Order: sequence, then structure tokens, then C-alpha cells
Amino acid sequence: MYRSQKLSLRYYAAAVTLFGVMIVFGLLSALYYLYPSMLFNVFDFSTSKIMHIDTLVIWLLMAFFGAVYWYLPQELGHEVVGMWLAELTFWVFCAVVAVVAVVFIFVQYGPAGNFTLWFINQGRKYVEAPRWATIGVVLVMLAFAYNVVATCRKAHKMTGIMWVLVLDLIPLVGVYLDAFSYDRNMSTDLYWWWWLVHMWVESTWEVLIGCVMALVLMDVMGTSRRIVEAWLYIEVMLVLGAGILGLGHHYFWIGTPQYWLSIGGFFSALEPLPLLGMVIHAVYDAGAHRLRTTNRPAFFWITTEAFLNFIGAGIWGFMMTLPQINLFTHGTQWTVSHGHFAFYGAYVCGVMAVFYVAKQKASGVAYLDGSAWKWAYGLLNIGMVGMVMALLVAGMAQAFFGRAIGGSTLEGFTTASQNPWFVSGMYARMLFGVMFAAGYVALVYDLLTSARRVAAHAMQPEPA
Amino acid sequence: MTPRALLETAVLLGLFVLAGGGYGGLYSIGRSAARPSLVRAARVCWVVAFAIALVITYATPLDAGWKLLILASALVYAVIPPVTWRYLERTHSDQGLGS
Repeated sequence: MYRSQKLSLRYYAAAVTLFGVMIVFGLLSALYYLYPSMLFNVFDFSTSKIMHIDTLVIWLLMAFFGAVYWYLPQELGHEVVGMWLAELTFWVFCAVVAVVAVVFIFVQYGPAGNFTLWFINQGRKYVEAPRWATIGVVLVMLAFAYNVVATCRKAHKMTGIMWVLVLDLIPLVGVYLDAFSYDRNMSTDLYWWWWLVHMWVESTWEVLIGCVMALVLMDVMGTSRRIVEAWLYIEVMLVLGAGILGLGHHYFWIGTPQYWLSIGGFFSALEPLPLLGMVIHAVYDAGAHRLRTTNRPAFFWITTEAFLNFIGAGIWGFMMTLPQINLFTHGTQWTVSHGHFAFYGAYVCGVMAVFYVAKQKASGVAYLDGSAWKWAYGLLNIGMVGMVMALLVAGMAQAFFGRAIGGSTLEGFTTASQNPWFVSGMYARMLFGVMFAAGYVALVYDLLTSARRVAAHAMQPEPA
Repeated sequence: MTPRALLETAVLLGLFVLAGGGYGGLYSIGRSAARPSLVRAARVCWVVAFAIALVITYATPLDAGWKLLILASALVYAVIPPVTWRYLERTHSDQGLGS
């Protein structure tokens, strides 16, 4: 095993840990909807939500880094250049995340001044980490970019996947710098802030996970390089063609010119089409292998990714992306439902496959299967689908009673929040959230013990 | 847009994409498992998707531009599964693989 692959396992361990933290704060955030005065002035909803969303961003980023560190030497036939820097930045990354988490939990907020911006919370939604930590994350990403580019140069080898990855590093680092800027005009501020959220998390990450999944498909399914690279190029074209201007659906109601209604609606409406192509490709690959694989959990998570990405981003997105509908739905639990489903389908399922690939390779198990992963798979998927359905019902109640009937007034908001459809949706979300958490426990158990169980099973003597 | 039309339109839009996805999914499973009945079921799904697109066109308060876009999407849905499938077969057969 390469040294960078050992580092990759550490990244995975950190990612899985933060995944757990994200779930804990997700459950806590869900509880506030049932008991609004819970922990009042002790630990407010806003901080819980910050922990939930920021850990989501960080654990996925760590998992992506881990995946690249895993496949980079395999792809280029060369150990990662600058491993000392990669290892150092891993610990720096972990320390930064831990310190920021402690500050968020115990300090929470400060007066509106430079000290708060630098050391407590910089006030940028989804990237609330204080300025020093944001600089730290930039440095970690720069080190990561150096590792990738220097290894390509040293190995004197560039594959199509590596070209896409290297080019994607530019927006990966560059667009994140948008986390620092702010403007006193709220429309201008939000205009650029959406570049961070849409371009960085949705577009740049889409390409990054595309590169990772291309490598996983070659590894797990033995798909030829030519095929995965062709699909990767198609994906890049679609991101450039539809994904970038799909940004427009965030510009509907922030004070930008009216033409964004047409641009955003049009390009967002195109997004389900390539996702349908991915579903067909997944079914083709599954059929070509007759569901035979040496790594069943990875295989199932890869296939699930295509389906849930289509449903979460495609169906859920299309329901609310046209401006005439979005006028009533934006900022409700309907959006939350879409966000959960799309992130889970596009990224989480893919990352699960990567975890299991590494698990199998690191433990030297020839055939990875069992029952624990099925529990994790079932509970996580049913938990997520249940949550998004519950959120959809709650969001529809908000859009209907609070926006369309209530006219987006405070009274309308309050009425919608007390509506039985909304309240029961929140209870159902909590219930399925607990199920999702149980799936996480099963996942951790399986990742920690599956190789040992498989090995023990293989050593049992055959019955006479 | 009335409150009722809001929910009806949104649900129709979701069902439209769901039916399109059903078409793609069933078509590819049917072709993969060599089961013509599933391919036929897939075509029914596309007919449903197209019918939903027509309902959206006639019965919802969306602007004309969006209605045209949805109708055009319904037509594009018709070709995506067979074209993608043919492309996959061609690329895989070049590699000596096949479904």
C-alpha cells in the first residue's frame, strides 16, 4: 500500500467521524422544530444548524481528498509527491475543524466586530468558520493541489481523468476564496455568495466526484478507461453548459435583474436530462456484470448514486425550479427536502462506495459482502427517503398556507408552522432521522468489522 | 397562481420527470434483461410523461415559454434512453464487453 493510501484511510476515518457529528447536530436541529424553546439561550438553533451544515461540507471535502489520495498513486504509478506536506496538512485540517467546532459549541457568537470575524464566526452562511480557519482551509486545499500537480509532473503521466481533476483544482481553490469577500449591498453580496455555494459546492464538486467515480468504476466494475473518460467529458460539458448558468435559479429573488428568471429556469429545467443518462448507464453496467462483483456494498452504492441523484436533483429540483413555483417554495422545508436528497444522491452515495473500495483493498479481502452493510444501506436509504418525504409534506404546507394563502407575512408563516401537515411532517422527519442515525451506526460497525468477519468466515472449516 | 394551482403544478412537474425516469429505468432494465414486456412498460411511461406534459400545457398557469420547454423536454426524453443505450452498446462492444 502506498503511503498516500494510508493517509487516505486517515482522511476517511476523519470524514466518517464528522459524518456522525453532522447527524448528531441534524437530529438536534430537527428537535428544535418540535420543541422550539429547547436549550433557549444555552445552545440555539442557529448554532446547531451551522454545525450540521458546516460538518456536511467538511466531511465530504475530506472524503474527496481521501479518495484522490487513494487513487492518485494507483492512476499515475507513482507515490504522491510531497507526502510530508500532505500528512502535515491532514493534521492541520483536523486541528482547525476541532478548534472551530469547540468555539462554535462553547463560544457561539460575539459582538459584531473584527475579533468575532477572525476568531469566532465570520458570518458567511455555510462557511461560518472564523477567518483564521478559512485561511487554514485554503492552505490545506493549496497543499492538496500541489500534491496532485507535482505528482503528475513527477510521474510524467497524464490521463484524461487527471487532466479533468487538475483543471478542477483551479475553481476548487479559486472559488472558495469567495468565502472571504463581502459587500454592504445585500443583493451584490448574495450574488457573489451564491458563486461559493453553487459554483464551488455544486459545480466544482460535481466534477471532482465525477473524477472519483470514474476511478471507482474502473476499479470496482472493470469499466474501460475509454468509457469512463468519455462520460466524464460529457459531464464536464454539461456542468459548463447547464450547471454554471443553472446558478440563475438562486438569483430569482435577491434583487438581480429579471433576465435571471429566464436563464435560471431554463438551464435548471435541463438538469434532469443528463441525470437520466446516468441512470441508464448505471443499469447498463449492472446488467453487464449480472450483479456479480467482488465488492457488493461498493457496487450497490454506485448504482444507488445514479438513481438517487436523478430523483433528488432531477425530480425534486424540477418540482420547484421554475420561477412561478419557486416564488412560493424557496426558503421553505421544500427546499430543505431537495437539498438533503440532492446532496445525498450526488455525493454521499458515491463517497460510501469509495469507503468500501478502500476497506476491501486495505484489509486484503478478496470478496466483500455480509449482512451488516445491508442494514446500513437499508437504514440510511430508507431514513433519507423518509426524511425528504416528510420535509416535502412540511414544505408544501408552508408554501400553501404560509406563502400562497398567507402572502408570505409573519402571520402566514406562523399559521403554516402550526398547521398539522407541517407539524406531523416535522415529527416524521425526526423519526426517519433517527432511522438514518441507526444506519450510520450500522455503517461504522460494518466498516470497522467487516474485514475481520469475512476473514473469520473464510477460515472456518468446510463441513464434512 | 392560486394556492391550489401551485401544488397541482408542482406535483405535475415532479410526476413528469418521474415518468421520464421510469421510462429510462424500465427501458434500460428491459433491454439489459432482454425482457420486451419491460421495454413496452417503459414506452407506456413515456406516454404518461407526454400526457402529463400536455396536462401541464393546458391546465396550469405557467407561462407559455415554460410550457414549450416542458413539451420539448418530453420529446427529448423519448430519445435519451435508446440513444444512450446504443452509445453504451457501441462503446462496450469496442472493448469486448456487452450486456
